[in-house]
Amino acid sequence: MLDITKLSVGYGAIAAVKEVSLQVPQGRVVSIIGANGAGKSTLLKAVSGLVKQKSGRILFDGRNISDLPADRIVGLGLSQVAEGRQIFAHMSVADNIQLGAYLYYSRRNRGEIRERIDHVYAMFPILAKRAKQIAGSLSGGEQQMLAIGRALLTRPKLLVLDEPSMGLAPIVVHDIFHTIARLNQDGMTILLVEQNARAALRIADFAYVLETGQVALEGPAAKLINDPKVKAAYLGG
Amino acid sequence: MRHPWFIRAAQRMNSISFATQVLQFIVTGLTVGAIYAMVAIGFNIIYNVTEIINLAQGEFVMLGGLVMVFMHVSVGLPLVPAFLSTIFLVMLVGIVMDRLGIRTIRKPSVMTLIIATVAVSIIIKGVAMLLWGKSPYDLPAFSGRTPIQLGGVVVQPQYLWVIGFLIVVAVGLTYFFNRTILGKAMRACADNPSAARLVGIDVEKMVLLSFALSAAIGAVAGMTMTPIALMDYDRGAMLAIKGFGAAILGGLGSFPGAILGGLLIGLIESLGAGLLLSGYKDAYALIILLAVLFVRPSGILGNLQVTKFKRF
Ligand SMILES: Nc1ncnc2c1ncn2[C@@H]1O[C@H](COP(=O)(O)OP(=O)(O)O)[C@@H](O)[C@H]1O
Ligand SMILES: [Mg+2]
Repeated sequence: MLDITKLSVGYGAIAAVKEVSLQVPQGRVVSIIGANGAGKSTLLKAVSGLVKQKSGRILFDGRNISDLPADRIVGLGLSQVAEGRQIFAHMSVADNIQLGAYLYYSRRNRGEIRERIDHVYAMFPILAKRAKQIAGSLSGGEQQMLAIGRALLTRPKLLVLDEPSMGLAPIVVHDIFHTIARLNQDGMTILLVEQNARAALRIADFAYVLETGQVALEGPAAKLINDPKVKAAYLGG
Repeated sequence: MRHPWFIRAAQRMNSISFATQVLQFIVTGLTVGAIYAMVAIGFNIIYNVTEIINLAQGEFVMLGGLVMVFMHVSVGLPLVPAFLSTIFLVMLVGIVMDRLGIRTIRKPSVMTLIIATVAVSIIIKGVAMLLWGKSPYDLPAFSGRTPIQLGGVVVQPQYLWVIGFLIVVAVGLTYFFNRTILGKAMRACADNPSAARLVGIDVEKMVLLSFALSAAIGAVAGMTMTPIALMDYDRGAMLAIKGFGAAILGGLGSFPGAILGGLLIGLIESLGAGLLLSGYKDAYALIILLAVLFVRPSGILGNLQVTKFKRF
């Protein structure tokens, strides 16, 4: 579904991502793990069209999206939940979710939008309860749920998540990962970036280890979780 | 000790005429204030989407007045077509301003963009001077100039048009920004531009739209005020200062604040000039503005978090 070949991205003279190739097959959970500053977020930003790539090719559903603007890429069904709970903090929870449907919002699609919103509220009942509240007043975990819920409104075929567990309490992290696993069971293809390698490898089918902008290691998640190098560097020995 | 009857009568008459005078100042003050409020609303629309203070906002008002004079008086279009085509043309100026003056800047920071708006305002003013010269122009009032007498207070019908348009603009924008998906998308750009991109909002299109919308509202202010105050090429800067003062006074970014701020500045100016020294008309509002900001830096209805210049 997503096929990246020799992608390089940089900020000025700094090369943040160097010739990375990776694949996300339909229906799978693929994870990218790596230390802080390894280039994970930069890679995802390039995929979503938020930063320009230097070279390489990104195919989504067989289509070259390398030079498309961000809004077109969302329209094709590639939705990203960005790092650090990027919500519209001054707007209501309901408005945040509704804006997920921005690209196909119309009277004709009202039924579908209603259904998708109800689905998100069923998945995260706390959001339904707080629908009228200003999104900035939610707790960290609730904001992450809101960001995921909003992304689900964009009609995604591939859901890209950038460190959804960052800065959350362990119990909340557990909930979020549970949600991701359930989304996958319902058929969603997922690309998951994490520093929390243990949790990510547990739900992933396949994983890549990114080190200073390059793929250092790749393989089935079940294999990586027992790899001595991965254990030493990312799983606390 | 009782005064003779004629002194008491004179005193009574004086006090009545003083009260009507004050009422008269209030009526004119509210009208002028409604204009300032519309300019302030224009500031807020662009600020809310981009955090830019568009210092060419006053030029939109000036253009609104002069283009309307051209359409209605020179070309001879009837009121409504002239009104609509003026809005359209001034909107076009706003769009061109965004495309050529704002979008083309290479490494935009809020500060450089604000300076760009100053440059644009100088260009607009220069072109207006070339097209219309330096003399002021009059415009027929929308529904005549027969004053309405309200217990001694004179209300020009055009005053009601000004205030009426402020209400229409305020209600229309409140609906637009709170109820329509496009309005919410514009707010989302201000709130979190990269998150807006990730739900598929074309942020540059929203910025363009904010300039077009501000220009349109500026045009409405200019068209409605010209029959009362005339219009010439040089009026933009002062209108921008007053409108900006109103926006700051009410709380930058807040629409109710813009209306409150605009009406307050109009009232202070009118009462100050009428009851105190008229020569300091422009100073009163600024003194009050400074005093309010000293007590409440975020303005009357603003909240500091929003008002903070995040990207300076
Ligand atoms: N906007 C930016 N400008 C310049 N350098 C950046 C920017 N964002 C990230 N970087 C640099 O790029 C590298 C990769 O960062 P990032 O992709 O955020 O890593 P990760 O998400 O894996 O923590 C880091 O060295 C970081 O300092
Ligand atoms: Mg990151």
